Parts: sequence; structure tokens; C-alpha cells
Amino acid sequence: MSRPDMPQGTEREGGRGKGEGAQPLPTRVTRVLRRIIGAPDYAAYVEHCRRAGRPPLSEREYLADCFERKGQVARCC
Amino acid sequence: MLVWGGIAGLGAAAFGVLALYRGESINAAWLLTAALCTYAVCYRFYSRFLATRVFGLDDRRATPAERLDNGRDFVPTNRWVLFGHHFAAIAGPGPLVGPVLAAQFGFLPGPLWLVIGVVLGGAVQDFTILFCSLRRDGKSLGQMAKDEVNATGGMAGMLAVLFIIVILLAVVALVLVNALKASPWGLFTIACTIPIALLMGWWMKQWRPGSVGEASLAGAVLLVLALVGGGYVAGHPGLGGAFTQSGVSLTWMVIGYGFLASVLPVWMLLAPRDYLSTFLKITTILVLAVAILIVLPQLRMPALTVFTELGEGPVFAGKVFPFAFITIACGAISGFHSLVASGTTPKMIARESDARIIGYGAMLMESFVGVMAMIAACILDPGVYFAMNTTPAALAQASQLLQQAGFVVSPAAMQQLAARMGEQTLVARSGGAPSFAVGMAQIFSSLTQVLGGRAFEALWYHFAIMFEALFILTTIDAGTRVGRFMLQELLGHVWPRFGQTSWYPSVLLTSAGMAAGWGYFLYQGVTDPLGGVNSLWPLFGISNQLLGAVALSVGTTILIKMGRARFAWVTLAPLAWLVTVTMTAGWEKVFSPDPKLGFLAQAAALAGSAAPNAGRLIFNAHLDAGIALLFMGVVAVLVVTSVWEWWLVLSRRKPPVVHEAPYVETGYATGD
Repeated sequence: MSRPDMPQGTEREGGRGKGEGAQPLPTRVTRVLRRIIGAPDYAAYVEHCRRAGRPPLSEREYLADCFERKGQVARCC
Repeated sequence: MLVWGGIAGLGAAAFGVLALYRGESINAAWLLTAALCTYAVCYRFYSRFLATRVFGLDDRRATPAERLDNGRDFVPTNRWVLFGHHFAAIAGPGPLVGPVLAAQFGFLPGPLWLVIGVVLGGAVQDFTILFCSLRRDGKSLGQMAKDEVNATGGMAGMLAVLFIIVILLAVVALVLVNALKASPWGLFTIACTIPIALLMGWWMKQWRPGSVGEASLAGAVLLVLALVGGGYVAGHPGLGGAFTQSGVSLTWMVIGYGFLASVLPVWMLLAPRDYLSTFLKITTILVLAVAILIVLPQLRMPALTVFTELGEGPVFAGKVFPFAFITIACGAISGFHSLVASGTTPKMIARESDARIIGYGAMLMESFVGVMAMIAACILDPGVYFAMNTTPAALAQASQLLQQAGFVVSPAAMQQLAARMGEQTLVARSGGAPSFAVGMAQIFSSLTQVLGGRAFEALWYHFAIMFEALFILTTIDAGTRVGRFMLQELLGHVWPRFGQTSWYPSVLLTSAGMAAGWGYFLYQGVTDPLGGVNSLWPLFGISNQLLGAVALSVGTTILIKMGRARFAWVTLAPLAWLVTVTMTAGWEKVFSPDPKLGFLAQAAALAGSAAPNAGRLIFNAHLDAGIALLFMGVVAVLVVTSVWEWWLVLSRRKPPVVHEAPYVETGYATGD
């Protein structure tokens, strides 16, 4: 099912993705919690855009986009 | 293999003890052992079989999160983080309330269905839909039904979602109203969550943009203060009266709240409440699991009650088959999960193999929540359980049976229990939430006493009510808004301007329409003399299982088109079970000659009544019958169109075209 040479999960939650140095523990914990509750994480997004070589949205635009998408998702029963 | 054989043997032994023991009470440890061993064995072997043989998960194939990574909705995410995210999205009030209601059949039927249903049905459904959506760039269930079955299947799927949202919101709001009526402590605490959420929203959007952690921490502190303050308010002569409200006035408040939450910007109310409830949900569930494992309480409910066979239960009418399987939807198999499994989750999976722990594993976790809820209900004295969950009218009808079974409790004992919980009364507090809260309060107070502290029963009771109410309100917020979008889309076909989600007249009208839709059923439930749970909860169960049938039909179609017809039994078996259960329950709810059970018989029995509200009750019974028939019709249409599609493909009259995204090799293997 999986190749032995593959990492078994992305390591970007810990801030070690794609050439990043290790992030401090509080930052990593905060990122994990944000991702679990589905909260916006602008710093992670900016890092992503920098790696991808794309200009990021402004923080306000990014937050507006995140909240817009959140409003379209039903919570389960 | 020896270890796994031992685990399987231990689970079988625990099931044996549960089935054969007939003493006064039995320790919850047996239930926990049976459930945990079954989950472990089935996760290890059955989910692996599904992953490797049936779906052929391939980690060399790049997932949508990797190919379409945009740092926003498509984001490769660590499997354990995504497990938490997915679990938080699928777990709501359903697995807490359904098992509590089904406890009227005894402690055995509910957990059997929770455990067997999840490993062979619910987890398979979630895993299948997650896999299908993962291979289709995160497409929704409705879109997959349209692409892979046909346009009729797609329309049936969309209608199913809209109806289920209306009934779901009505029934969870009913649970909330029943929990908060005549409860100043509870109402004050829950009312405080609205300004707290507004403050959090302002904090993280306007004052310190993006500071979710700070805002959530402040919200959590204020929530604790509101909880403690509720005790003071309840004891205050003036404030206590102001926060003591009837079911009808609470109904109007909840409808108004749902409308406002749908109209206001997401950041203002919906998002902060969602963050708060997710934190509370995950933390409380973990603490409850640890508390149950430490306290290991005794179950006082018998294995089976007289109501399994007689079908005249005072909590809801109907025999154990099919009604136990309708009452417990979430926790065993819930169609609603297919919306989450084809929503945000597939866009965040980093590797295909992660779908196993997230799709199958998270559903096992939800089933375990259902087992814990069942334990919380069954540790109550059966007399207390029935006194709490029965309306006076239903109690009068079932009083002889309850006395014969020994399920009686004195009014003085009930008053004493209410005083311990900080409530005015606990009699006729139907809906499941108060019973769960009493059970949870007893478990938590036992834990604090074991740890050398005081019992704090009243505080724990209201903490449990707040815990349930928070995510019921989150479900109402999000559900009304999603329903509003669907209505706007539908009306947009008639008048395109209505389809613009930012056009305020459309926003106001469709939000009002949605809130009025579920609000009508809520009002009907609150004013129903037999308690709305008796009519609304089965409708909710039927609609939820209907959506499960839609999901499993789509999954089966995709497996057949993928050339995996020999494995189609993995989805066909739970589909056949769901169709049987849904159709039987729907038929009985409509056509049973028993007025307590059948909607039409209920209307006929009221025909000659001189009661002032008889006309309205007759109309409601006919409306409920129509809704049940509509649900059954949608199931029939979808199953028939799916079977037709399978026959066309298997008989080679139609090429097996699957609409998967093209294969792209992952880049992760070469180093991240």
C-alpha cells in the first residue's frame, strides 16, 4: 500500500516542510490546533505562497476567504 | 496473530457475558471491552482489506491536496491532525442523544448495533465515500451521484440533503429546548455563549486579526465564568424568574437565533462558536472516556426491557426492529457523514493510505462516543430514566408496564435528584440530553471524589448541558446557512438574481424560509402532547439513513465501474440493511394501526376529538406521513436508478466509465 521510502505523513504541521527549519514547539502546537478546529493560519499560508512562488492574499482577504468557505460547510449531527 | 486472536477472544467473551448475564447490574467494563476489542480487530483486518484489496489505495498516486495545494482548502495535512479535524466535523449531538433514547430497550440492543453497525456499515460508508471523493479532487456526494449514477440520482441526492437538514435542525433544536425549558442555570449559560462568541469574532477579525488562539482562550475563560455564574442566577429571585422560560418561548428564541446566525457574517458568530465547541467537544469526550475507564460504573438498566417486543415504549413507540436501528443513526451509520467525507477532508489528505485511519478510524471513535452515551444513560436507575424521558401523557399510557417491570421512582426521589443537579424538576425532560447530562454528572462527580475532591454534581450537570447545547447551536448555525445556500441555488433556477448569495433580499428571504421550515417542525414537536421526540426522532433517523443509502449506492456504483464488482458486497450488505430498516420503519410510521406509532392512525384517532388543537395535530400527523413517504420515495428512486446503472455496466450495455482525476505520481517519495 505504501512505499517504504515514503515519509508516512506530511511534516508541515510541525513546520518542517520543504526546507523549513524546525519551528518552536508553541508555534507547532498552535498550528496543529488551528488545523484541527479548521481555523485560519495566515503565517502558514504565507509560507506556502512563498514556497510556491505565488503572491499571497492580504491577511484580510485571506481571513474573508476562510470564513466564506467555513460558512458553506454543514456540521454533522 | 496470537495477540490478535487473544483480543478477538476477549471481545467475544465480553459479548458473551453481556448477552447471558441477568443480575441486578453489570459493570460497564464488559461493554467497553466488547466494543474496544471489536474496533481493534476490525480496524486491523477489515479496514486493511478494504484499503488494499477493495480500494487499492496507492501512495504513489498524488492526492488532490498535493496536486492542487493552494494553502487554503487544498492543504496536505498530517494524518493525526486530520483525524482530529474529521472527527470534530462528524461528531455532533446525534451519538449522544440517539443511544440515550434507545436505552429504553435495555443496555444490550443499542451497543450491539453501535458496534456491529459501525464496523460493517458506518465506517465502511465513510471510508468508501472518502476514497471516492479523494480520487475525484474532493467532489461532493451530490456531484459524484450525478457523474457516476445519473442526473436522477444526483437530484435525489440533493433533495435528500435538503430534507435531512430541515428535519435534523428541528430535532436537535427540540433536544435543546427540552434541555433548557424551566432551567434558568442552563439558559443563562447558553445565552452567555452568544455575546462570548460575538466578542471572540470581533477579537479575531477586527481587533487582532487571525488571533484565534487568544480569542478562544478568552472565550473558554468566559464560558467557565458563565457556567459558574449560572448557579448564582438560578438562585436569584429576579434573575432566576427571567431565565425560566417555557418550551414555546424557547422555540421562538431558537428560531430567531437560527435566522440571525444565517444572516450575520460567518466571522461574527458561526466561526467563533464553532472553534469553541470543537475545543470543548474533543476535550470533554477524551475526559469522559478516561473517567469511565477509571470509575467503571455499574449499568442498572436490564439487558432487555419489555419494550423490545411490545413496542409500546414511553420514550418512543415501536419495537426494537426496526426502531433501535433508526433511533441510533450517528454512532452506527450516519448518512450525514458522507457530506463531510466528500467535503473538506478529502482536500486535506496527504497520502491515499491516510484515508484508512481518517475514514474508518474516526467513525470507530464516534461509535465509541455512542457507547459512552449509552453507559451514561444505563447507569441511571431505570425508574429515573423513564421518569425523565417520558411526557406525562405517555407516562400515563405506559404506567402499568413500567410498574410491572419495576421501573418506578417516587416523586420525592425525583425532586431530590433535581435539587442535587441544581434544577427545578427533572420529570418529563425528554429529548435525551438531560438524561445524558445526569449520567455524565454522576460519572464526573465519582471521578472528582475518587481524586479526593467534592462531587460538584450540579456544576457537572450544567457543564454537560452546555457541552451538548454548544454544538447543537453550532449545528443550527451551520445547517440553516447551508440550507439557505441550497434554497438560493434552487430559486436561482427560477429567478437568477435569487441565486446570488450576497444579494441581501435573497439572503433574508431564504434564511427566513429555512428557519421557518425547521422551526415549524420544532414548534410541532414542542407542543406535541406525546413529546415531539416520538414523531420527529424517527423521521430524522429515517432521513439520515436515507442519505446513508444514497452514499452506499454511489459507492457501490463506483466499485462496480472500477471493475471491483466481486467486492461490491462490502457496500451492498450495509445498503441492503439500510433499505430494509428505512422502508420498514417508514411503513410502520405511516401505516401502523397503532395511534402511538402510525401517523395516519394518529390522525384518524383524533378525527372525532373535541380538543381545541385537534385540527392542528391532525394536520401535523398527515404532514409527517407525507414527509416519511417522500423519504421512502427518494430511497426507492435512487436505489432503482443505481441498480439499473449496475445492470447496464455488468451486462456490458454501457461502458464502465469512471470520472476519476488522472493519475499523477507523488512528489513526496523523492524527499519533502
